[in-house]
Amino acid sequence: MKLRKASWLLISLTLILSIFLTACTGNQAEDPKETPGDDGTKEEEQASGPQQGGDLIIGSTGAPTVFNPLYSTDTSSSDIEGFIYDSLVSSDTEFNPTMSMAESIDISEDGLTFTAKLKKGIKWHDGEEFTADDVVFTFSIPKNPDYNGERGSAFEAMESVTKVDDYTVEFKLSKKDASFYPVSLSYFILPEHILKDVPVAELGEHEFNTKSPIGTGPFKFVEWKDGEYVKVEAFDDYFKGRPYLDTLTYKIVPDMDAMIAQIQAGDIHFAAGVPGTDIETVKSFPGVKVESGLGLSYTYLGYNQKNDLFKDKKVRQAITHAIDREAIVSSVMNGDGKVAHVPESPLSFAYNEDVPKFEFDVEKAKSLLAEAGWKDSDGDGILDKDGKKFSFTVKTNQGNKVREDIVVVLQEQLKEVGIEAKPEIVEWSAFIEQISAPNWNYDALVLGWSLSTFPDQYDIFHTSQMEEGLNFVWYSNPEADKLMEEAKQILDQDEYKAAYADIYKMLAEDQPYTFLYYPNVHRVMPANLEGYVFHAKDDFYDISKWWLKK
Amino acid sequence: MLSYIIRRILMAIPLLLGITIVSFAIMKLAPGDPASLMMDPTISPEDKARFMERYGLNDPIHIQYLKWLGAMLQGDFGTSLIRKGVPVIEMIMNRMPNTILLMVVSTLLAMLISIPFGVISATRPYSKLDYTVTVTSFLGVATPNFFLGLILIMVFAVQNNLFPTGGVATLNAPFSLWDRIHHLIMPAFVLAAADMAGLTRYTRSSMMEVIKQDYMRTARAKGFKENKVIYKHGLRNGLIPVITIFGLMIPSFIGGAVIVEKIFTWPGIGLLFVDSAFQRDYPVLMGLTVISAVFVVIGNLIADILYAIFDPRIEY
Repeated sequence: MKLRKASWLLISLTLILSIFLTACTGNQAEDPKETPGDDGTKEEEQASGPQQGGDLIIGSTGAPTVFNPLYSTDTSSSDIEGFIYDSLVSSDTEFNPTMSMAESIDISEDGLTFTAKLKKGIKWHDGEEFTADDVVFTFSIPKNPDYNGERGSAFEAMESVTKVDDYTVEFKLSKKDASFYPVSLSYFILPEHILKDVPVAELGEHEFNTKSPIGTGPFKFVEWKDGEYVKVEAFDDYFKGRPYLDTLTYKIVPDMDAMIAQIQAGDIHFAAGVPGTDIETVKSFPGVKVESGLGLSYTYLGYNQKNDLFKDKKVRQAITHAIDREAIVSSVMNGDGKVAHVPESPLSFAYNEDVPKFEFDVEKAKSLLAEAGWKDSDGDGILDKDGKKFSFTVKTNQGNKVREDIVVVLQEQLKEVGIEAKPEIVEWSAFIEQISAPNWNYDALVLGWSLSTFPDQYDIFHTSQMEEGLNFVWYSNPEADKLMEEAKQILDQDEYKAAYADIYKMLAEDQPYTFLYYPNVHRVMPANLEGYVFHAKDDFYDISKWWLKK
Repeated sequence: MLSYIIRRILMAIPLLLGITIVSFAIMKLAPGDPASLMMDPTISPEDKARFMERYGLNDPIHIQYLKWLGAMLQGDFGTSLIRKGVPVIEMIMNRMPNTILLMVVSTLLAMLISIPFGVISATRPYSKLDYTVTVTSFLGVATPNFFLGLILIMVFAVQNNLFPTGGVATLNAPFSLWDRIHHLIMPAFVLAAADMAGLTRYTRSSMMEVIKQDYMRTARAKGFKENKVIYKHGLRNGLIPVITIFGLMIPSFIGGAVIVEKIFTWPGIGLLFVDSAFQRDYPVLMGLTVISAVFVVIGNLIADILYAIFDPRIEY
C-alpha cells in the first residue's frame, strides 16, 4: 500500500513538474522542438523570406579546449572559433578560396609576395574597427621565437608580414608555397587592440582564449560552462549581415548514444558526425531531417613496409585484388559510401580517376602472390615462403563500429587467398602511439584520413616523413618524392592538378595503402531549418544565413 | 579517542602517498600520450615534440613524479595539458558541487527508502512483504548502474518525455529550482539504487538481531506499544552499524558517479575523470586521484569514529 502511495505521489509530482516546465518553454515558439507538428500550415504566406530569431542547440561528442586558432588542435574548438572569428579568405562548397575579410589578394609574378586589401568597416565584437594591424599581429605570432603552439608549420614559408596602410598587408614568402593562399591565409584573425601587450610565450594560456574571446565573426561569445555547453549570440554588426539565429548553444554530450537519445527527445537540434549505421533510426524521429553527402575523407588499409611481408609491390596489389571493397561498402556500411582508388576525395579539383585499379579478383590475387613466391607448401591453407607463414595482424581503433567490422571482414576475405589476417582493436590514444614514430608497432592497420580542402600528399607519402612524420607505413618512391616536391612550387590550379594526376597514378600503382572507401557524412537538423548549404568540410558553412521557419 | 583519531590521520599519510605512486605509475605506463592525439597532417612532428618537452613529458617517470609531488605538496596541482593553462584545481572545483549534490541527494534517497523497508521486513520476517523487499533489493544489487540508467532514459525521457535525458538544467531557460530537481531525480535514483539494496538488507539483519534482544522483551513487558518498542528502542540500536557503513559507501559513490555521470551527461568529477583518461590529461587525472583518495580515507575514518561513538563496547 505504502509503495503504491509513494509511486502515485512521484508520478503526480513529475506530471506537475513537467507541466510547469512545458509552460516555461512553451512560449518560445522558435524553439524547433515545439514546431515540427504545425510546420508550415497556417503561417505559410508570411514565411516566404528568412525569419529572424531562434536558438539552435548543437550537439557534440567532443569538448572544446581553447578558443584561439593558433593554439587549438581539436575539432570542437575550431567549430566554435568558426562562430566567433573570421579570416581573410575562406572556401566555397567546391573548396575554391573565396574572399572573406579580404577585398582582394594579389600575387606577384614570382609567387613570393601576396598583397591583401582588406574590407573596410568590419567591426570587432567590442566595437573597435578591424585593420591591417590585426592581420600583421596575428600572422606575426607563429613567427615569434617564443611561440609555443602547434601551428608553426602552416606559416613556415612566410618570411615577413608588413602593414602597407590601414587596409593593406603584404606577405613575403621565402619560397613558393602552393598552400599559402588556401591554407595559411584562411587562419582566423585575432584582435591586436586586446592582445598586443601579452607576451607571446603567455598567449597560449591567456584567459582571453577561454573566458573572453573577441572576434569579427557572426557570433559573440557569451559563456562556456565546462563539460556542459558553450553559448554564443548573434553579432548585430557582423560585416556580412546579422545572423538570422539569435543564439547557438554548443552542447557537449559524452557519446553518440547519448547524442541520439537527446536528438530524439528534442534536447539537441543539430548534430554532425552521426554514423551512417545510426542514420536510419534518426530519420524516423519526428521534426528532424538529415542532410548527407560525400565527406572529405577516405578510409584505408595501410601496410607497414618495414615488415618483409609487405615490401613487394606485387603482394600489396594482390591483397587489394583479394579485398571485395564493393561488398564492404554495401554490407558493412549499408551502401553509405563509395569505393576509393586514390588518396584524394572525388570532391577535390585534383581528383583523378584515371589510375591503375585493382578490382576484386581472387584468381588474380592468387597468381600475383604466386609470382611473388608465396605458395602453400605444407597444405594448411595458409601461404608460406622460406618457412614463414603469410600471417599478420590488422589493427584498428576502438569505438569506430565500421572499422571494427571491416577488420573482421578482411580476415574472412583474405583467408580465401591463403592469407591469415588477425584483427586487433586498440583504444585510440594507445593505437596512435603504437603505430606512429618511433614505434611502428603494427603489421597492417585500418584508419582514415580527413583531407584538407587543398590537396597535398607530401606529409603522408614523402620519404622524408617516414622517420618522424605521418608516413608511418614507410612508403618510399623517389620519383613520387620528386613530383610532390615540385608540386609544392606550383601556384596555378590546372598545372597543380596535372602534377597530382601523375602522383596519384604512382600511388595507386604502388598501393602503399589499399584505398578502401570514401564515407558519407550525415548532419541531423530541425526539419524547419532553412538556408543550410552542404559543405563537405565545414559542418557550419555560412551559418549566419541559417534560419528557422516558423 | 583523540589520540586514536590522530593516529588514524597519521596512518593515512603513507597510504595516500602509496596511492599516488601507484596511480602515477599506472597512468604513465599505460600506452598513449596527449601529443599522439594531435594526429593532424598540419601539425608537424617538431611541434608535437616541443609540446612533450615543454610539459616535461619526456623526463623519466620518477622525475616527473617527484616534480608533481613537490608542486602538489605546495598546493599546486598544475594546469591541464588539454585545456591549455586552466589550473587543475579550478577544473575540479567547477565540477565538484555537481558531484557532491548528486552524492548527497542519492544518499538521502537511499536512506529514506531503504531504512523503513529494512525495518518493515525485519518486523515481519518471512512474510510476503519481506520476500518482496528481499527480491527487489537483490534485483537492485544485480542490475548494473549503466543498465538501469539507460532503461530509465529510454522509458522516462525519450519515450514519455517525463524527465530530461541528461544535464543539470534546461538549456536557454532561466534558473529554476524545479528544473534543477527535475534533472536530478533520475541520476540520483540510479546512483542510490545499488546502495538501497545493500542498505535494506543491512538494516533488516541488524534490526532482526536487535528485536531478539532482552531489552526489547523488557520494553514490551513494560506495556509499551509495539511501534514504540520497535522504533524507539529497537531502531536506535539497530541503526548503529547502518550509520557506520555510510562512511564505507563513499568510495562506491565515487565509482558509481563515474558511470552515472557519463550516462546522464552530469558534469561532475566522474565525467571529468573519464574524459581526462581518454585524453591522457595527466595532471587532471592525478588531481582527481588525490581528491578521491582523500575522500575514501576520510570516509573510512568517519566510519571508524562513528563506530567508536555509537558502540561503547569497542575500546581503542
